Amino acid sequence: MASVLSSSRSTAHPFGERYAGRMGPLPGASQPWVDGLRQAGRAALTSSGLPGPKVEAWRYTSLAELAKVAFIPAATADDVEVASVPSRVPRLDGFPRLVLVNGVLRRDLSDVAANAFAVPLRDALNGGDPAVRAVLGKIAPVSGSPISALNTSFLSEGLVVSAQSGAPVRLQIVTIGAAGAEPAAFHPRIVLTASDGADVTVAVHHVGLPGQSYLSNPVTEISIGRGATVRNFVDLAEDGDAFHLGLTAVNLAANGSYEDFRLALGGGLIRQDVTAIFSGDGGRVTLNGAYALAKTEHHELATTFFHDVPNCNSEQIVRGVAAGRSRAVFQGRIRVAPNAQKTDARQNHKALFLDAGPKIDCKPELEIFADDVQCAHGAATGEIDHDQLFYLLSRGIDPDTARALLVAGFLVDVVSRLSIDVVREAFAGAVSAWLKTRVVSGGVP
Amino acid sequence: MAATEKTAEAVREVEKYKYGFVTEIESDRAPKGLSEDIVRFISDKKNEPSWLLDWRLKAYRRWEMDRDPEPTWAKLSYPKIDFQDAYYYAAPKLGAGPKSLDEVDPKLLETYKKLGIPLKEQQVLAGVAVDAVFDSVSVATTYKTKLRELGVIFCSISEAVREHPDLVRKYLGSVVPIGDNVYATLNCAVFTDGSFVYVPKGLRCPMELSTYFRINEKKTGQFERTLIIADEGAYVSYLEGCTAPQRDENQLHAAVVELVALDDAEIKYSTVQNWYPGDETGKGGIYNFVTKRGACRGRNSKIMWTQVETGSAITWKYPSCILQGDNSVGEFYSVAITNNAQQADTGTKMIHIGRNTRSKIISKGISAGRSSNTYRGLVRIQGKADRARNYTQCDSLLIGSTSAAHTVPYIESQNSTAMTEHEATTSKISEDQLFYCLARGMTEEEAVSLIVNGFCKEVLQTLPMEFAVEAQKLVGISLEGSVG
Repeated sequence: MASVLSSSRSTAHPFGERYAGRMGPLPGASQPWVDGLRQAGRAALTSSGLPGPKVEAWRYTSLAELAKVAFIPAATADDVEVASVPSRVPRLDGFPRLVLVNGVLRRDLSDVAANAFAVPLRDALNGGDPAVRAVLGKIAPVSGSPISALNTSFLSEGLVVSAQSGAPVRLQIVTIGAAGAEPAAFHPRIVLTASDGADVTVAVHHVGLPGQSYLSNPVTEISIGRGATVRNFVDLAEDGDAFHLGLTAVNLAANGSYEDFRLALGGGLIRQDVTAIFSGDGGRVTLNGAYALAKTEHHELATTFFHDVPNCNSEQIVRGVAAGRSRAVFQGRIRVAPNAQKTDARQNHKALFLDAGPKIDCKPELEIFADDVQCAHGAATGEIDHDQLFYLLSRGIDPDTARALLVAGFLVDVVSRLSIDVVREAFAGAVSAWLKTRVVSGGVP
Repeated sequence: MAATEKTAEAVREVEKYKYGFVTEIESDRAPKGLSEDIVRFISDKKNEPSWLLDWRLKAYRRWEMDRDPEPTWAKLSYPKIDFQDAYYYAAPKLGAGPKSLDEVDPKLLETYKKLGIPLKEQQVLAGVAVDAVFDSVSVATTYKTKLRELGVIFCSISEAVREHPDLVRKYLGSVVPIGDNVYATLNCAVFTDGSFVYVPKGLRCPMELSTYFRINEKKTGQFERTLIIADEGAYVSYLEGCTAPQRDENQLHAAVVELVALDDAEIKYSTVQNWYPGDETGKGGIYNFVTKRGACRGRNSKIMWTQVETGSAITWKYPSCILQGDNSVGEFYSVAITNNAQQADTGTKMIHIGRNTRSKIISKGISAGRSSNTYRGLVRIQGKADRARNYTQCDSLLIGSTSAAHTVPYIESQNSTAMTEHEATTSKISEDQLFYCLARGMTEEEAVSLIVNGFCKEVLQTLPMEFAVEAQKLVGISLEGSVG
């Protein structure tokens, strides 16, 4: 809200009345609950604004720069023309493609095979789909998440993907950020429901048109039924001037399984939150990630796992490298509720400095209220091991290649944990492409 | 509370004050509450120079303006503290200062005896110089002469203000500034006494310096102020231990400890803290809000904190090191045990500023009963701290399904040549180990004590001998009633 004064607890932001006024009519007019959700989002945004530096969860990511930009709703930008998917996004064999431009499903750019699985959120809201109503705003509530509050305030575009047990569902979702002459913002919402026993794999690519200033504010709500499996592989390669405030919120029923991989290779200011709630015994979550930053890029990955019930496992491994004057942040919180016995939760974050300029912050947090548990976290930062470098140099490998090899090994180690071959290869390819431009030819030490 | 009861209590309080008797020992106490007059009263009582009064008033005004609200980030829950509902000055009534133990009020000595601290025995047998603090004023300082011959200054801080004003003025508040946090600010305004140590250049202090703090006066906040300076090449080991008689009301304890290590100096500061933790339901107990910080100002200096925290209802304490000097070293070893309804939020801060600075953090948290035990630590590597190293290990042990253990580390690195490592684990006491001990005829409590002592061994080993023995016993005692 423009009228909210900047303070250490909240940051004045451009998503107030003026912005809302430009949105035009939003879908779901005949559905009071839709507007109720939006109002709740707006109320949260009005009362606490966008978080300032004194808000503990946001101590390492300042939104001051974002708040200065006079965004317009991307839907109202009339000079946007996206005719094709950027070549940066690989074709994944067996993964039919869905394309969203500024959050709006573009059936013309999408594959026919994929269109069958997806309903534009706008249609679901207008029709008052009860299945969507059961999930929307429940897994990613507005309270406690400024990212969800902002997204929910302008709930309109996005996707609904539903999968039943039977044949595995595979989809590639490409979201393209495109602003015109003015900086634009969009707030896509993806609702993914995996019914009991379903098997769903999505590969999501966040990209943008080069040289444009936009804010991508996606929220994904994933409901995993009993014994269902969801794999969500996110490739974040926004444009260098872009802002990205994303949230993925997952709820797992008994014996549900969730695998997440976060690859982040670009963007001006990125904060991605992942929350997982175990609501049935025997749930399992694996979240791995790799990031590589350069220039003045800022990337934060913040994960929160709620082990609310017994006998659930979670594992997180995140590796990152930072060059230039970039800033990397990892915050991982694991909360084990009273009586959530036999929880096994592990987390590990390691980051490498590739230059003298970056700043790396890490806050792994364990909150344990049950005794029969195994929880551990590890965190380390440092530079490339001189002994390893010396070993390679002594075998006649030139310094650039040696460094690239070591950095690649560091990152690929975690990428190799990705369980689906075609996605793993694509992600590993993206990492090598990054290293080629930054580490070898860029002369990063 | 009904209005009549309130009035009755107020009358009782006034009467108590009128006759100046609260315990059997006569005491000299300022009226309840905090105001500029009280600050002036304290300063006046202690015949302080005007610069110190001005310093206190500056702190008081900052506190009064509420510039620094009580921190809410700690995982602690307690009723809001009414700072006006406490006494800020209570001194055992004495004529001229005692020159030997014989001159000390025999009732005071009796109290020490009950608490199991045979002052005379320690003096003779252990060779420990004891600067005992009863409530707020030092009443006995021993071994002074011997230390003085070597050039070591070990006295109460009030005495240091009188005898060594230049040293005090130079270093007081230089590590923990007036506005550091609300409890430190309060301490600056109303601190009554504490210890002062200065070890001259090149001297290795030949004995462990030790101070016992006691809370005895009902509703008396304890605001100790300790300042330790190790000049170039000096070494000193300082022991601080606390016990307190049982109390029904929460007592506020807001101490400030400042350490300064110059070039090549080393300070080892060890604490065993077992203030009254409250009863099994959490009633009573000490609120312990302590600011402890050491500055490694000089090259190659070293500060080592060891703490065994078993007492207090609320512990809020983060002994920290500011590693300014190149090659300086900070170490933090901690055992924190909470049982019943105790809550502890404790840890450390290691701020790496100089080159080649190293820090090591070993924290062992044990929580039993319905208690909550949080490790909270910050490791910050600043831009110029080339080749800085940090290693952190924090392990938590849970005993019983209603206890809670939290780990909240912050690791911030801004130097590419620096290396930080952090590891944390949380698990419950091993049933195999318990079974093994029980099978060999140990009681469950003995077994728990043994296992926990093993879990804490790395930390307990760093304590000086006298303390290590006491601490091992304490570990067992603190966990009584947590199993079975």
